[in-house]
Amino acid sequence: MEVVLYGTEECPFCEKARTFLSARDIRYREINSPPGSAVWEEMRKLTGSESLPQILIGNTAIGGYADLVNLELTGKLEELLGVSAGKQQSSLYDVIIIGAGPAGLSAAIYTIRKMLKTLIISKDIGGQITWTSDVENYLGFSQVNAAELVAKFEDHVKKFDVEKVIGEEVAAVDLVGRSKRVTTGDGKHRFGKTVIIATGGRHRPLNIPGERELLGKGVSYCSTCDAPLFRGADVAVVGGGNSALGAVVDLISIANRIYLVSLTALTGDPVYREKVLKSEKVEIFLEHQPTRVTGETMVEGLEFKSVLTDELKTIAVEGVFVEIGIQPSTSLFLDILATNQKGEILVDTECRTGLAGVFACGDVTTVPFKQVVVAVGEGSKAALSAYSYLMSQK
Amino acid sequence: MENKVKIYTTPSCHYCSQAKEYFTENGIAFEAVDVLSDAEAMKEMKSISGGARSVPVIAVNDAVIIGFDRNAVEKALKAS
Repeated sequence: MEVVLYGTEECPFCEKARTFLSARDIRYREINSPPGSAVWEEMRKLTGSESLPQILIGNTAIGGYADLVNLELTGKLEELLGVSAGKQQSSLYDVIIIGAGPAGLSAAIYTIRKMLKTLIISKDIGGQITWTSDVENYLGFSQVNAAELVAKFEDHVKKFDVEKVIGEEVAAVDLVGRSKRVTTGDGKHRFGKTVIIATGGRHRPLNIPGERELLGKGVSYCSTCDAPLFRGADVAVVGGGNSALGAVVDLISIANRIYLVSLTALTGDPVYREKVLKSEKVEIFLEHQPTRVTGETMVEGLEFKSVLTDELKTIAVEGVFVEIGIQPSTSLFLDILATNQKGEILVDTECRTGLAGVFACGDVTTVPFKQVVVAVGEGSKAALSAYSYLMSQK
Repeated sequence: MENKVKIYTTPSCHYCSQAKEYFTENGIAFEAVDVLSDAEAMKEMKSISGGARSVPVIAVNDAVIIGFDRNAVEKALKAS
């Protein structure tokens, strides 16, 4: 079916219509129609409207840009374009979930059970939980290997046969308007009536000289993965929360000597604190801030200073484990969604972001306590909110 | 040319599992070694990677990638 667009150059909605059509690979012929011109008169006769743009699909005058969007949302656009019934299903999702950690996977369970057409896009499955070894505080599991827990989450979602795009990172989003566009790194576009952001977070780097240069050469963000490679070595762990203390506990049975460097007092769980304080292998420097990782081709030491006296110290270590928490993965959304100082997306109690049809859940949001169980709960809330929103739009 | 892929891993490393899954899903044969139980493999990993102390280390033909960097792996596969 031929698509014709009557438009002019300086017309923002013509531009939107062009973008809409090309993003969906819908071919169209444009007719430049300055108001008052002969073609514009012809358009007026054909469509009964004077405003630009006007879009014709075959012989049907569908109206302007907003009408185009409406047709898509009601599923009638493909019908008009003559896309075959089998293919029709594939273009517009009720929900696109970005991220497949505990929050995203939990959201998926809820949207699928509400019979919403759901797509999950994520670069991996499991998210940060895969950085830990065991989980001991998830209800129903007194101790479970993190990878096993992720596998259980994944199996649960698989039972419902949900569409997934795994391995691709989202490169761009257009979340304003009623039809949201999500573009992956390979240039493919997907469209949804709602989007649930569950992108979680990634390791917060120290941003000091030597850190990036010696990554993998002694600098590590994954003590679970790399701690066993430091048998008998002297190492430093940076941080004072649960991740840092967890890393120290892992290392006690492996390394020779462990230096724990923390900007603050130790804030991790007492269970961990006790083990760390009891070990003779561990030396603790509180209120100290790392300033440089030393070494040419391999980590040779860590330099840090007292925040009270500015006194510099250097310790000889072969490994530096950076465990200073996470930073939210929100770079795609900073321009369009409200965030706090840490870059976390502001949400209300129903996981709404302030942008209609856009929800967020889990570690990427301002919701405190970055725990698996919290993320799972928030994921379900975001899904149910998306469902309410979709019902209200009918 | 057939790609030659070798992955150096530790048992607790989920990125290593993800890397192995990636090659399995894409139908690319690989050899995986646990550097904790295999001292020779550890030595080899360190020598080819300029002394990496992080897993996975992935050797794709002549390219050596520290960490599971999907883009770098794809590039190395295409280069063959």
